[in-house]
Amino acid sequence: MKALYAMYPDGHAAQRAVDGLRKAGVTDNDITVISAQPMEEFNFSHIGHKTYMWYIACLGGLVGFAGATGLAYITETSWPINTGGMPIVSWWPNLIIMFELTMLGAILASVITLIVTAGLGRRRPALYDPEVTDGKILVGVENPRDASLPDLKKALQIHPNISLKTI
Amino acid sequence: MKLPNDATITTDLLHPLLNTSWRFYLLVAFLGSIVLMGLSTWIFQMVMGFGMTGINNPIFWAFYITNFVFWIGISHAGTLISAILRLVNAGWRRPVTRCAEVITAFALMIGALFPIIHLGRPWLFFWLVPYPSSRMIWPNFRSPLAWDFFAINTYLTGSLLFLFLPMIPDFAIVRDHSTGLRRKIYGVLALGWRGTTKQWHRLETAMSIMAVGIIPVAVSVHTIVSFDFSMAPVPMWHSTIFGPYFVAGAIFSGIAGLIIAMATLRKFLHLENYLYPLHFQNLGKLLLMMSLLWGYFVFNERLTVWYGNHEADMNVFWVTQTGSFSPLFWTMVTVNFVMPVIILGIKRFRTITGCVIASCGVCVGMWLERFLIVVPSLGHKYLPYSWGTYTPQPVELLITVSTFAAMTLLYTLFAKFVPIISIWELKAGKHPSPALFPEGAREHPLGEVHI
Amino acid sequence: MAHKWGLAVDLDRCDGCGACVTACHAENNIPTVGEMQAARGRAMHWIRVERYWEGEFPNVRLKFRPVMCQQCDSAPCEPVCPTYASHHTADGLNAQIYNRCIGTRYCANACPYNVRFFDFFNPAWDKPLQLQLNPDVSVREVGVMEKCTFCSQRILATTIQAKAEKREVKDGEIKPACAQACPAKAIVFGDLNDPESEVSRLAESPRGSKLLEDLGTRPNVNYLQRLTEA
Repeated sequence: MKALYAMYPDGHAAQRAVDGLRKAGVTDNDITVISAQPMEEFNFSHIGHKTYMWYIACLGGLVGFAGATGLAYITETSWPINTGGMPIVSWWPNLIIMFELTMLGAILASVITLIVTAGLGRRRPALYDPEVTDGKILVGVENPRDASLPDLKKALQIHPNISLKTI
Repeated sequence: MKLPNDATITTDLLHPLLNTSWRFYLLVAFLGSIVLMGLSTWIFQMVMGFGMTGINNPIFWAFYITNFVFWIGISHAGTLISAILRLVNAGWRRPVTRCAEVITAFALMIGALFPIIHLGRPWLFFWLVPYPSSRMIWPNFRSPLAWDFFAINTYLTGSLLFLFLPMIPDFAIVRDHSTGLRRKIYGVLALGWRGTTKQWHRLETAMSIMAVGIIPVAVSVHTIVSFDFSMAPVPMWHSTIFGPYFVAGAIFSGIAGLIIAMATLRKFLHLENYLYPLHFQNLGKLLLMMSLLWGYFVFNERLTVWYGNHEADMNVFWVTQTGSFSPLFWTMVTVNFVMPVIILGIKRFRTITGCVIASCGVCVGMWLERFLIVVPSLGHKYLPYSWGTYTPQPVELLITVSTFAAMTLLYTLFAKFVPIISIWELKAGKHPSPALFPEGAREHPLGEVHI
Repeated sequence: MAHKWGLAVDLDRCDGCGACVTACHAENNIPTVGEMQAARGRAMHWIRVERYWEGEFPNVRLKFRPVMCQQCDSAPCEPVCPTYASHHTADGLNAQIYNRCIGTRYCANACPYNVRFFDFFNPAWDKPLQLQLNPDVSVREVGVMEKCTFCSQRILATTIQAKAEKREVKDGEIKPACAQACPAKAIVFGDLNDPESEVSRLAESPRGSKLLEDLGTRPNVNYLQRLTEA
C-alpha cells in the first residue's frame, strides 16, 4: 500500500485527525497534510516548517557579491581604458553592479532552494487527491507499516462519515 | 453583492480560462494587428536607417527614451502592492497582487525593448552582456547604460519569479479542474505541486525572502534609470534629486496603471464580488499620497533651479514654464497634481470611476513628465548656437502606440490562461496566522478584509 | 615624454570663411547630408564656425568661433559609453572607435559642446565624388557616432614616419586639415607637453581662454581673443 488517507471537510476535523495520528505514534515527518491553501491558524500547518532558506538566500547574495566584484575588477584591469580621467577600477559605479548581482544571487538561491526542497519538478508522489482543490483537507500517511494499519485507521476515522481511502 | 465561498471562488476565477467568447478573439485580433504594425515599423526603421525618426542634433534622445522610462515606471506597480503590502500583512492586497505583478512583468519586458529600439545599431545590443568576446573587451561598468542592463535584468528575473511562484498552486487547481491537453499542460506548469504543509511553508518563505529582496531592487532600478540623466552635464539633468524623484514618479504611475487594469478586469471579467470599491479607495488614497509626493519633488527641483538662477538651467526652466513647452508642462501639472488631488482627496469623488479618471490623467501626465525631462533640456544645452527643436515622426508614434497595444494584448492573453486573482491567496485570507491576531481579537480582525 | 595634442585657435584672426569646415569634410570623408536633413539639424560638421552678433546697430560686431571636439581631459562623453567606443588615448585625444559604437548616443547628450555627430543614414556620394574619398579614413556606416579626431590619421602617419627615421616629431610637422586650410593661420596644432611648441606658447597668452571651462571638462583647445570693452 503506497498511502492511507482520508478527506476532511474543514481545518478542525483535520487537526483532530492529525492529533489522533500523533497519539497513534506517527512522527510529524510521516504525516502528510494537503490543502488548497495554507491554513496557518491550525497547528498542523507547522509540519515540515523548518528550513534554512533564509541562510541560503544570504549565501546566494554573498556569491553574487563576490561574482560581481570579481567581474568588475578583473574585466576593468584586463584591458585598462581611460574614460574621462576616472580610475581604472572605479568602485563607486562598481558598487551598483555589485548590489544588483547580490540581490540576483539571493533571489535565485531562494528559488532554487524552494524548487529543490519542495520537490517541484520531480515526479509527483502518489499521495494526492484532486478533491483537495474543492476545499477538502487530506490527512494521510505514506507507505504505512502493515502492523500499524488498524491504529492508523482508527486515528483517521474521527467520524463515521469519513471514508478512508488507499492508494 | 454576494460574498463568495470557497466553491464559487474557484468557479468564478477559473471561468475566463474555461470559457472563451468571440469577443476575446476579436480583441486579440485587433490588438495583435496593432502590435504587428509596430514590429514592422521597427523593422522598417532598421532597414531604412535611424534617420526615419525625428532625432537630430542636439536632441539625440526623445520618444523612445521617454517610453523606456515610462514603461519601467509603470512596472513599479507590482512591487509596491505585492511586496510592501505583503510585508505589512495588509489583507486587502489578496485579490490585487497578481493583477499588479502581471503589470510589472509585462511593462518591464516592453520597457526593456526600448533601449534596443533606440540604438543606432540594435543588432549589436548584446555587447552590453558581459561575456568573454573574441574582441577581448568587456562592457564599460562606469556607464549608466551598463548599470541599466544589470538593474533591469535583475528586476525582470526577480519579478518574473515573484509572479510565477504563487501561480504554481493555481496551476494545480486548473490541472485538477480540467481534462485532456489542458490538464497535461497545466500539470507540467504546476511542477507536480500537491499542497503539503512543507510545500506551503517553503513557498511562503520564498515569497517573503523575495518580497524583502525585490523592494530594494525596484528602488534601485528606477534610480539607475534616473542616473542615465543625472550623470550627464546637461542643464536641469545634473541634479541629485533625480533618484528619489524618479522612484516616486514610478510608484505614482505604477499605481495609476494598476487602478486602470483592475477596473477593466472588474468590468469585463465580472469580478464585482472580488474587487470592491474599498480596494479602489485604498489604492486611490495611495495614488493621492503619491500625487502629493510628486508635487513635492517637482517643487523641490524647480525651486532650487530658479533660486540658483544659473543661466543654462534657467533657459530650460523658462522654456518649460512659459516657453514653447509650456502647454505640455501645465497639462502635466493639471493631470498629475490638480486633478488627482481634487478627485482623490474628496471622498465623494473617490469612487471607482473617479479613481480611473484620475489614473488615466496620471498616465498621460507621467508620460509628459518624462518627455519634458528629456527633450527641453537636450534642446537647450550650453551653447545657444546648437539649440534645436524636435518633431516626432510617424515611426516613433506608431511604435509608441503599438507598445500600449502590446501591453493590453499580453494582459488579455495572461488573463485567459492564468487566474487573474490568486485563488489560493484569496482563500488563505480566511486562515490567518495566529501571530497576526492576539487571542481575544479574533472577532475584530483589525480591519482585515477577509476576501 | 608622451605627446599631449592640443589646438590654439586665434579668434582675432578668424574671419569666418569656412575653409576649415570644407577641408575637414574632404579629409575625413564626412558626407554632406543634403538640404532636407540639414534643415532638420542633422548636418555633420566636425568643425563648425559659430557666428555671433554683438552689440546694437550701428555698433554691431560679427564674431566667429570655430568649434571642434575639445579633446577634454575629463571628457563627459567617455565614461557614459557602454561599449568603450569613446575613450581617452595616451596622447591626450578622445578617440571614437566606430566598430565598438552601437549608437546609444549618450556621448552626444553628455557633450556640452555638441561636437558629436550621429550617422542617421548610410553615407552616399554622387559619382564621381566617391573617388575623392580619403583612403586613410574609414567611411562610417549608419548608426555610429563620429567627431573630430584632430586628424588622427595624419598624427599617426607622421609619428610612424618620425619613428622610422629615428627622430622626434618636429613642431608644426603635423597639421590637421583645418589648420592646413586656414588662410589666416588662425588654427595652430601641436604638442602641449613640449614647452617650446607654438601651441604651448599660445596657450600661455593673456588672450587665452577655454570654452565652457567652468564645467570642469578640462578641454585642450585654447581660444585667443582680445578682450575689449563692450
